[in-house]
Amino acid sequence: MSDLSVKELEVARLIVDSLNLEDVTAEEIEPDAPLFRDGLGLDSIDALELSLGIKQKYGIQLRAEDENVNQIFTSLSTLTKHIQKNS
Amino acid sequence: MSSDWASQKERGTPFALRLILWIAQHLGRGFARLFLHPITLYFLLMAKPQRRASRQYLQRILGRQITLFDIARHIHCFASTILDRVFLLADRSSEFDIKRYKPEEVYRLVDQGQGCLLLGAHLGSFEVLRAPAINERRMPLKILMYPNHNEQISKIFMGLNPEVAQSILPLGEMDTMLRVADAVAEGKAVAMLGDRAIGSEKSVDCCFLGKSAQFPAGPMLLASVLKVPVILFVGLYMGGNRYELYFEKLADKVVIGRKQRDADLQKWVQHYADRLEYYARKAPDNWFNFYDFWNRGG
Repeated sequence: MSDLSVKELEVARLIVDSLNLEDVTAEEIEPDAPLFRDGLGLDSIDALELSLGIKQKYGIQLRAEDENVNQIFTSLSTLTKHIQKNS
Repeated sequence: MSSDWASQKERGTPFALRLILWIAQHLGRGFARLFLHPITLYFLLMAKPQRRASRQYLQRILGRQITLFDIARHIHCFASTILDRVFLLADRSSEFDIKRYKPEEVYRLVDQGQGCLLLGAHLGSFEVLRAPAINERRMPLKILMYPNHNEQISKIFMGLNPEVAQSILPLGEMDTMLRVADAVAEGKAVAMLGDRAIGSEKSVDCCFLGKSAQFPAGPMLLASVLKVPVILFVGLYMGGNRYELYFEKLADKVVIGRKQRDADLQKWVQHYADRLEYYARKAPDNWFNFYDFWNRGG
């Protein structure tokens, strides 16, 4: 069980929900673990699905031109910070 | 034993490659084609795993004993299309007789500003697609491919046509598919090859030429997320200077249900595999996966 803030838990639920993850629950996602490849093992199509989920829920559009898109998607914690800052 | 295509080293030295390029550009296609026979012979003798893969594939599709001559013809077809890339990239498609079948499937979408996915394969020539797309500007195109694969060869080819180089979206980055989404939203056609399952990519078990093989799940998954039409394209080399470029709509919309995700996905990828088989049977020597396609190592 990891220690997630309320907002992080909300975003973690969005990740699990929009990607239909079956072998991990929102509570189990480590805030600072990498989301892609080694960490949660998400791939580029997952990143796209997740960005669509974020757009739907928070109205925030993530575009590839945003230079920091890689940085935003680093971990649950960086993603949550980006959402908090922009919503 | 690794049989992954991406890990296979390219054969032939850069010098030989530059030489044949020089010949092609200065002495013409007809003269350069004379060199295809010794090149074919060289590969026939030296490239044992490729020879084995060719025999296995030809046996499967032709359903008979395969001779060395059959394999030579297969390699010669491959070498021909590589040589022709030079002329197609350099915008000399007037050298060729390229018959197009149903290009309006794509043109119609382009005119409506509707983006789409163009799904091809290592069957025939990818380059004939670039003629209508880039040289005639009839099709705003992005090409999804792994960077640095066949590095030496791509550097040389890209030098022939910088516009083609610019149209490439590199695969393997976390934001790759976000870039695809942007391109599709701008009404572009995004082309990719859907027959080689590489590395740890998600793949789907499909029946191809009567035996199960792994096909990448990515293209159909992507189509379902983007909710865009998927159009199969195949550029078959028919000998001489003749190519046949086919377009065929695979789906207006790929729907993959949440509950029966795997079954739906399999159904769509199998549809692609079935159509691919149809086109492979039209011109069997155009199959350019020279590895054990049905048993990927690794």
